[in-house]
Amino acid sequence: MMRKADLLRRGPDEWEIPTSHRADMRVPVRLFADDDLLEAAMGDASLEQAVNAATLPGLVSHVTVMPDVHQGYGFPIGGVAATRLPDGIISPGAIGYDINCGVRLLASRVRLDQVRAKIPDVASALYANCPSGVGVKGSVPLTSKELDRVCHEGARWAERSGYAQAGDLEATEEQGCIDRGDPNAVSSRAKERGRPQLGTLGAGNHFIEVDVVDRVFHPEAADAMGLEVGALVVQIHCGSRGFGHQVCSDYVHEFQDAVARYGIRLPDRELVCAPLSSPEGARYMGAMAAAANYAFANRQILAAHARRSFEEALRGVVRDASLYQVYDIAHNMGKIEVHQVAGESVRVCVHRKGATRAFGPGFEGLPPRYRSFGQPVLVPGSMGTASWVLLGTQGSMELSFGSTCHGAGRRMSRHQAKRSVRGDRLRAEMEAGGIAVRAGSLPGLAEEAPQAYKDVDAVVDVVCRVGIATKVAGLRPVAVVKG
Amino acid sequence: MDESGFEEVDHTADWALRARGRDLADLCRQAAKGMIRLTGAEVGSEPTLTWEPDIWAADAESLLVRWLEEVLFRMESQQLAVREMDLSTEAGPRLRGKVALGPLLRLGKAIKAVTYHGLKVHCDRRGCEATIVFDV
Repeated sequence: MMRKADLLRRGPDEWEIPTSHRADMRVPVRLFADDDLLEAAMGDASLEQAVNAATLPGLVSHVTVMPDVHQGYGFPIGGVAATRLPDGIISPGAIGYDINCGVRLLASRVRLDQVRAKIPDVASALYANCPSGVGVKGSVPLTSKELDRVCHEGARWAERSGYAQAGDLEATEEQGCIDRGDPNAVSSRAKERGRPQLGTLGAGNHFIEVDVVDRVFHPEAADAMGLEVGALVVQIHCGSRGFGHQVCSDYVHEFQDAVARYGIRLPDRELVCAPLSSPEGARYMGAMAAAANYAFANRQILAAHARRSFEEALRGVVRDASLYQVYDIAHNMGKIEVHQVAGESVRVCVHRKGATRAFGPGFEGLPPRYRSFGQPVLVPGSMGTASWVLLGTQGSMELSFGSTCHGAGRRMSRHQAKRSVRGDRLRAEMEAGGIAVRAGSLPGLAEEAPQAYKDVDAVVDVVCRVGIATKVAGLRPVAVVKG
Repeated sequence: MDESGFEEVDHTADWALRARGRDLADLCRQAAKGMIRLTGAEVGSEPTLTWEPDIWAADAESLLVRWLEEVLFRMESQQLAVREMDLSTEAGPRLRGKVALGPLLRLGKAIKAVTYHGLKVHCDRRGCEATIVFDV
């Protein structure tokens, strides 16, 4: 286990594990955390996993660790690593099984005080219209040919099929489609798993949440995003379902041999990788892009279901129950980007696993209304606690390869959470606190109890203090839907 | 844990399972039983189908991961769960056997994937043991 003495303090909220810590480290590890969050990070294997990540070939600079870090498998959740093209590597385990797991935020002009009594109906409509839970089939049956089109087109396929409205794609990372998604690089088993699941939320930590905009910190940016204090918004958190999980599994198997072929030595087999320029690396990039596109389409379809739910539940109560897309972000992805490294522009593959892209002002890929502010960053809190809308900054470009945190970060195991929290009591407490809860599984609800997570406010305070994000608005939950 | 069996091990975000068997085949059997227990799967008695797995891998760890993935795939995509297993291994390593599958009546919790994270199959004269981390 890592000790505090192993870390150098670089600033009030910035720490470094130098390469002298272990002989096989190629680059240092830099962690953003206050003293409490650092202690939490040292409570599990997160930092050992970050040190393991720092041994990957082709890293151009430090491995970054966010304040919401927690132990994952191979690469820590909350880690960022950039490898140089063309000879650096790509590692499926450093992106995660749920490829393009992400968050979508929809805003409305519906004010909580107008519809407070109808919130349980909104929750019920969302639960009924958005398929969720273990083994639930999707709302969009796909032929093999259609699934291949989803792999190529992502959210554009959903738009063409009537699940999007004007402005949705523009307000999605990569406009909802990663180029060169290759269905031929995806196994038949992944397709078999993915075909029935499009348009589903899944289970685990995935959710749909209705929140009220509680506080605004940056009025101009909030205005550009359509966020008004007292108005309702919807967050959708999910990813590429069994399709992405199988893509990752397939390539983790395939790369077990690749590391031997390319003479790569690793401290953990879950970190297996292949050079970006290799045939294996190129195939994984194509398959990962296909899975990312599946996830963009999935969240787009769920957004359409959320819109229908608002219309159904609030018909006759408000004149305008429309939901407008604020933004959609990925927090498990490998992206080819250009970053400044030691004063040079370098093309790199940025692995973000449990970390959000957070590009600063001026980024051309943003909708014009956001360009002068920076990229919207969506940080969901633990169930029943605050969530945050942030902006990317120039600081994130300089310190963390244009990345910031992705959530609260677990601090308690699922087993421990179930031992200390009862699902029925938790639901009753949340309902008593004014949060409507619709959940398919009470033990599943207990696993996601707020006590099982770190304090998201503390996480957000750290990333804002170090300058890798800035606050726009705080959200407070009024309804939670989980599988 | 006795000579043969499984137990859940704490892991911050995911699930981990320590399994022990009299030999590699028994380890695969115990790990599957433990994984099925973690998912809260309920399996019906009729009808029963027979599946004859034949899995090759480069090493014991890959064999264990591939075997567990096959069991998971049948649960998620075919709605079939394991009722009984008769497994054996041979050099290669290779896993073969007969597995009785019944209809999956209920799945409490989904497992996304079986990982290689920190996975090492330790075998000695008392048997084989491994700790497997699942992504959930």
